[in-house]
Parts: sequence; C-alpha cells; structure tokens
Amino acid sequence: MTLLEVDHLTKHFGGLVAVDDLSFSVDEGEIVGLIGPNGSGKTTVFNCIMSTYIASEGEIRFDGEDVTSEKTHGVVNHGLSRVSQESNPINLLSVGGNIKLFMLPNSFLACALPDAVLARRSDGGPGVVDHAERVGLEDKIEETPDSLPHADVRRLEIAKALATDPDMLLLDEPFAGMNQAEIRTLSEQIEQFREDGISMVVVDHNMRGLMQLVDRVVVISSGQKLAEGPPEEIVENQDVQDAYLAGEHGGI
Amino acid sequence: MKGTLRSALLPVWNVLCMLLAPLDRALQPIANVYNRTLGGHFGEMNGLQFAVISLGFAAIATVPFWSPFYSETLNITFAVASIWAIFAMSWDIQSGYTGYISFGHSVLSGAAGYTIGLLILHYDPSMGPATTIPVAVLASLVLGLVIAVPSLRLRGPYFSLITLVGVLLFTNLIFAFSGWTNGELGIHQVDPFTYEPWVRYYYMAIPMLLVALGLIYISRSNVGMVLVTIRENERAVSSAGLDPTKFKISSFVLSSIPMGIGGALLVYYGRAINPTSFVEISNSIEIIAIAVIGGMGSVVGPLFGSFLFFFLEEEFLRDVIGDSSLRTLVLWLFVLSVLVFARNGVFRVIWHGLGAVRGDSE
Repeated sequence: MTLLEVDHLTKHFGGLVAVDDLSFSVDEGEIVGLIGPNGSGKTTVFNCIMSTYIASEGEIRFDGEDVTSEKTHGVVNHGLSRVSQESNPINLLSVGGNIKLFMLPNSFLACALPDAVLARRSDGGPGVVDHAERVGLEDKIEETPDSLPHADVRRLEIAKALATDPDMLLLDEPFAGMNQAEIRTLSEQIEQFREDGISMVVVDHNMRGLMQLVDRVVVISSGQKLAEGPPEEIVENQDVQDAYLAGEHGGI
Repeated sequence: MKGTLRSALLPVWNVLCMLLAPLDRALQPIANVYNRTLGGHFGEMNGLQFAVISLGFAAIATVPFWSPFYSETLNITFAVASIWAIFAMSWDIQSGYTGYISFGHSVLSGAAGYTIGLLILHYDPSMGPATTIPVAVLASLVLGLVIAVPSLRLRGPYFSLITLVGVLLFTNLIFAFSGWTNGELGIHQVDPFTYEPWVRYYYMAIPMLLVALGLIYISRSNVGMVLVTIRENERAVSSAGLDPTKFKISSFVLSSIPMGIGGALLVYYGRAINPTSFVEISNSIEIIAIAVIGGMGSVVGPLFGSFLFFFLEEEFLRDVIGDSSLRTLVLWLFVLSVLVFARNGVFRVIWHGLGAVRGDSE
C-alpha cells in the first residue's frame, strides 16, 4: 500500500526552481533513498513534505490524506517525522527532556497534567527510556545535549523523531559526520525501525552507506527526477553518473 | 570585567561555602521529605534551598507581626509588592517563558480594574467584590484572547509591537470616553476590603501565594517545558507535533487570569482606579523590570523581584536618599546593573549559589 505520495511537486523561490515537477511514492514498509548532488533540492523536498515550506504546485498525500497545506505539527500528528540535517536539541533540557517533549500531547491542558496521569492515559505505551534505548542513548538520559559527542546528538535527533510515534521517518543525511563503526550501528538501528513498522525516506548525496539499506532509489538533479530504481541499477545508470561528474561531486 | 569580579569574589564565596556546607548537609533530610512528596511537581531542592524557600514563605506569611520592628510602613509596602508580584509572575509565565515579550500587560489588569470601576459607577454602587471580581477576571480573560489570537499567530517581534500599541490604544480610550471613565481623575467610589492595615495585607498576600503556587506548578509541568522550547526554538515545537500558536495563545490567556485578579486587588487596595496607576505603559515597564531583576522564566524570581523592588523603592532608598527623582534614578540604575551583571536575575544568582555550596555545580 502506498503511504507517501509526492505528486507533481514544484517549489520555486522567486525565479529559482528548487524542485521541478517531482513525483515519487513510498510504500508501507519500504526504505527509499533520495539522492542527488548537493543543491539538487533533496532537503527542499523534505521541507515541502513537512510544510516547513509551502509547495508552489503539486500535492503531497500521506496515508491517503492530502497534507500539502497542513501545518508542520499537523503533518507530524498524521504520522510523519523528520530528522533534520542539522541537530537542534534544546540545551536547557536533559536528553530525556528533549525526548519527552516529542511525546507530549498537542493540548495545553493535557500538558498541565502530572506525568503519572499522562502515563496512565498512554496505557503503558513506550516511555522516554524506551525511545532512548532504540538508539542506544539509555545511559545518557540525564545528560544535557551540549555535553554529548556528535554521534550521540545525531542519535538524540532520531530518538526525538521516534518519540512522535511516526509511521514514516524522513532522514536527512543521517550518516553525515559519522565514522564507519557508527554508520554500521545506525544502519542496523534503521533496519530495526523498519522491522518495527516504520517506513523511511533517506536523503544522502551519494550512494555510500545506502546500498545495503534501501529498497529503491530516487535520483534528483536540479530539482528534477533523473532516475528511479533498485540501488544496483542506479549505480550503473549513465545519466546518473553524468550528473554527478558534471557537478564534480566526486562520483556516486 | 565579569571575570575579574568573579575572581575577586571567589575567596568570599569559598568561606561562605565552608560555613554553609555543613548546614546544607544537616538540612538535607528535611528537604528529602519534600523532594519525595512534592518535589516532582514544584522542583527538587537541596537542604539550604529548601530552608531559604520555607523561611521566605514564612516571612511573607507573617509580615504584619515582624514588620513594625523594621518600619511602620513595611506592611503597606509589602501589600503593594504582593499585587505587583502577581503581575510580574503573570507576565513571566507568558513573556519570560515563551520569549514573546509583552509590553502591554497593564492593559489586562487595567481591564479588570475598569470593569470594577465602571460596574460600581454606572451599574450598582453597592456591588461587592464577590460579584465584581469574577466579572473583572472574565473581562481580562476576554481581552487576553482578543489580543492574543491575532498577534500570536505571527512569529517574531509583531506580538511585542501589538501589545505596545494595545496599551497606548487602551489608555487613549479611557481619555476619549472620559464622560464614562472620569478620564484622568479616575473612579474613586470603591469601598476597600477593610480599613485594618494588617488584614488588608493578607487580602493581598494570600491570593498572591495561591497564584504563585498555581503558576509554579504549571511552569514545572510539561507546559513549562513547551513554553521554554518556544523561546529556544519554535520550530522544534512544531516538529514535536505541538501547535506553537495554540500554546502561545494559551499561555497569554493563562497569564491574563492572574492579571485580572491582581488588577481587582489593586482597585480594592487603592480604593480607586485611574489611568496613571493602572494602564499607562510605565506600569507595563515596571512589571517587566520587576520580573527582570528577580529573574525571567522562573516564576519565583519575579515574586522575589517584586518584594526586592518595592523594599528598595519604598523603604531602603527612601531612608537613604531624600530626593524622590534621584531615588527613582538610583532604582532604575539598579535594574540596569542587574541586566548587565546578572541578566538571569538576582534570585537565580542566590538560588544557584545555595545549590552549589557543596560544590555540586559551578
């Protein structure tokens, strides 16, 4: 079943066309790679899906519902959650507090209730510790984000996104700045999220790290779809190789 | 400069720590009882912090008994401080927490005040506080919604500008309809709660303490966490699936309820209502100054700030400096120096100091 449908999406900023008539879809349980050279519009696509930007044209449907003009928090409550390229934890709150924020109900009055009451309402659903465990942060719940190493901050970003109980995760360059061991651990965790029933779109600027992970790849260049297919096929694709060579981005 | 000040004070600090650390340790068991029971709702404390807070509240609760030993006017000063503490805490739960600074909070207390004044003047002079105060608080709440809904849909400085224009507009409305409102002279037909000064103190202090408890609870709940996140990173709130607009409007409306209570108390305290002491923008600025010297974004800070501000203005500086304009100047220089040297507020400096006597943190 199709979960996310991006339908003829166009986004322009003044005269600049960042995303140009792009269409793709993601099925339930699928992990799709969205790749393209730097500046090809990948993050803009995410921004449009999450309503950080308003799409100039086209439609975005999630789980059968039109979410094109939904506000960001509404999109999240539909079951979509994004892990941004840049980390932005709240340093005034602990790691646990940062995760908890993402678990809160969208209601002022419900937020004023004591935690014990909230926990009873959620009927034994996952707690802060459970979300931290999924990314291996369970020992750092009391720490503040600014005392964590880079890879842990990135993990916290993923834990926050998971805490909204999403059906689909949008991961924007999740492996950036990580070493080989960290990339391997994260890939395993991402596999586990899929087992847990979360579909994913993973953005990266090359295929490194994505080959084993994704079922399908969508390549965009200058905001347009260049190719789509299984990863093995995409690596061989001549158009894709040309686009990467022309942009001097060091190959796919 | 700050560094040298800090290193100059370091020996003093070390001696203080040496003296206070055993006391803190001795008090810890009592604080632990509190931490286990209510700490989850109102914040955990160490021994000294718990002792200072308890003594502080005990002192506020017994002002009429000990104030004559300091001065005859102290209980009047602290009655006024109680009312302004309500204003400053109300301002804080909205502006201090969300970072959307309101320059027009006096409009909310003014709405409550004028509701009472107009009811007594034009509707029924015999109306007592039991009827007028609920209506007055409702009026603040409605005005809060009227201001919040259009202005807090926008991000950034527009909210502050709208509150600024709002307070000017409201002030001018009073003058424009002076046939109804008595303009600059105000409305004087209000009977006080009581003429007994020490009873009057409790009429101001008890509601203040109740408002404080309520707002401290809310600020320590998840609501406080969301409001602080709005200040730190509004987009993060959206990403968490929470509607920032809804939380901003709710915090403003929440803030307008105690503003209404404070406004009503001020009417019955001063037995009068006029633009100068209620609505004009200088009142809003004073609310902000009180919150700032105490410490924005802490609720208890502004409470402390109000007692400090009025103690300095009406008692301490009055004894030291005869000239009233010079006194005001010194007071505002003090506010400025808090902003420069302790921008998180005097209360936070003391509080974190108490928390660190055993070297737990900085």
